[in-house]
Amino acid sequence: MSEDALIQRYNYDSFVPDNFMPWMRFDASPKLGDPAPDFPLWDLEGQESNLSSLWSQHLYTILEFGSYT
Amino acid sequence: MNAIADRYAERGIGSYFLYTHEAHPGENIAHLTSFEQKLEHAAKLRDELGVARPIVVDSLDGACHRAYGSMPNMTWIFTRAGIPVYKSDWTDAASVENAIEYFLQGVERRQEGQRLAPFYVERLDFRVQDRQAFYKGLERNGPKAVEEFRNAFG
Repeated sequence: MSEDALIQRYNYDSFVPDNFMPWMRFDASPKLGDPAPDFPLWDLEGQESNLSSLWSQHLYTILEFGSYT
Repeated sequence: MNAIADRYAERGIGSYFLYTHEAHPGENIAHLTSFEQKLEHAAKLRDELGVARPIVVDSLDGACHRAYGSMPNMTWIFTRAGIPVYKSDWTDAASVENAIEYFLQGVERRQEGQRLAPFYVERLDFRVQDRQAFYKGLERNGPKAVEEFRNAFG
């Protein structure tokens, strides 16, 4: 799948099962106890950092995923 | 979740919100087509819905969200070394706080001299199911969001 197609599919415009069900793969998510994958993230001003820069600052780090909708 | 962030900040607990994609796009909050729009929606989440924790934004293709299972409102807890020690496919503040209390007790037990080794546990927790509040949220997104959810789940 091309990057443009992936972006379009991930950011679906209608909440119908064919659009949202394929993404819900909690069963295939990283295992507890194993090193977690790192990814780039941005703050609200568009400054880039990464996930590891968050967890490395604290004894424990809580990360809630979600959106406005 | 904001209250938990405040309560535990001084005990070494960091709390963040990661902005993913629009799960229920509607006429008022459309699906995402650009990274700039994603930043705007994340700022609206802070300003209009009161998320007081630092918000970080995933890439437009959701690379981080997809790698962690793509659930719409999940929560993960990591150690300082980047080891995930808690993951829930839905967010419930009581469940998260319970986990944090347990992990902090582990720190105290070690300080008291106990030798601890990790083990794996599964548990089925409970979350508040407030259908009325959920539909109110969908209405904020627009009538299309309400109709699509009704069609999918009744």
